[in-house]
Amino acid sequence: MEQMYKRWRVVVIMIAILVAVMADHLRSPTFAFNMGQGGQTTLMQRDLGACAPCGAPCPSARKE
Amino acid sequence: MTVSTAQVTAEPAGKFPKIDRFIVSVSLLGMALLASLIWLETAPFLVGLFFVGALLGIALYHGAFGFTAGWRNWVVSGNGTGLRAQLFLLGLACLLIVPVVSGGIEGTAGTIAPVGVSLVVGSFLFGFGMQLGGGCGSGTLFTVGAGNLRMVLTLVFFIFGSVIGTLHLPFWLDAPGTDPIQLAASLGPWGAIALQWAVLAGLWWLIGRREKRMTGKTSHGLLERDRSVSVVRTLLTGRWPFLWAAVVLAVGNLLTVILSGTPWGVTFAFALWGAKIAQFIGFDMTQVEFWTWDYGALALRDSLLVNVPSVMNFGLLLGAMLAAGMANKYNAGSQNPLVWRSVLAAVIGGSLMGYGARLGFGCNIGAMFSGIASASVHGWIWFASAFVGSLLGIKARPHFGLGN
Repeated sequence: MEQMYKRWRVVVIMIAILVAVMADHLRSPTFAFNMGQGGQTTLMQRDLGACAPCGAPCPSARKE
Repeated sequence: MTVSTAQVTAEPAGKFPKIDRFIVSVSLLGMALLASLIWLETAPFLVGLFFVGALLGIALYHGAFGFTAGWRNWVVSGNGTGLRAQLFLLGLACLLIVPVVSGGIEGTAGTIAPVGVSLVVGSFLFGFGMQLGGGCGSGTLFTVGAGNLRMVLTLVFFIFGSVIGTLHLPFWLDAPGTDPIQLAASLGPWGAIALQWAVLAGLWWLIGRREKRMTGKTSHGLLERDRSVSVVRTLLTGRWPFLWAAVVLAVGNLLTVILSGTPWGVTFAFALWGAKIAQFIGFDMTQVEFWTWDYGALALRDSLLVNVPSVMNFGLLLGAMLAAGMANKYNAGSQNPLVWRSVLAAVIGGSLMGYGARLGFGCNIGAMFSGIASASVHGWIWFASAFVGSLLGIKARPHFGLGN
């Protein structure tokens, strides 16, 4: 039966995504922190004072 | 190796259908690699959230739980099964999550957002865009995970639209609007649940009434599945009844609250991925007001592996890939050649969804599902406004060669 995709394409895409995630991680403060090179990891990024999931401030705070 | 749906269901009862071993192996390997990396570099709760994301991806794929098609089916043909499944999902999630975020578990908080022009405009644009793009935030992600090429295009422009949305959101926030309105704050958690259930019951009745008028009957397909296939086989290879998927999605959102402190969200990660790409090609996104707010600034500076929506989205993509491999339907959505009008619809729809998701504080998941599950009024306004946008989107679909 004919295959609906090319296997090599799936592998290339998966590797590309992994490389992109790794490249981002290796330049991050979390990686520097883990390597003992200083910096600070932000495992908890939540902003409890924000008014929206994206961290936007409340309209009342913007008017002040 | 692939077989059609008809061939899969034609398998004799008891005999396990062919699975796509390559896709299943690649998705499991991807999960193992990423989970190990998150475990080694971050914290156990993020590994937990990664697997919750994978579970949600499996449920979305096996349940074919699309908000977009559910709305369209009811509008076009009167079939309310998908929409009723969404109402069931909202009711169950609200029952599970409102008591938790209203003081039930210390350190948790519901999904809230301001109510105003930004929310209405954003959700309207999102609703219009999702009918052209072919899926909402979660729908786009799980179909991409299942190898749908057109949805990859929608996702790319979703990310592009999200970045533009981050540039414009401060302007829209200055338009008239009020601070978040939480029903539980004035009615208490159980009062808020009762009020929301009453509204959901009213909508349930309204959906059924229109369905009966248009089709002459009310469908009761929430538990519908192929009875010639065993429960275990259905669980592993699909297709799940809507009710199974809804229960997994509601419980998955509750687990997200318990592990991360807040309900599930999808689209912030798209804006973050876009901003990181923009930074990589030379734009200084740290000067953009959106990325100076505490959460955005922390997320932009640090690894994707410590950003909850990103980690869950990675899990969701791989979970959907695994489910598509188990169903032996990976890339099955890409068999028809792409025509330019359909590509244009994906570009416009994706961009509008991205832009709308920023202005509207999320998508069907982050704003509507998690908002209503937190008894926040913005979730209901998002629902209503996106539905109106969706009505126009449904009318626009034939102009792009998309069937209704």
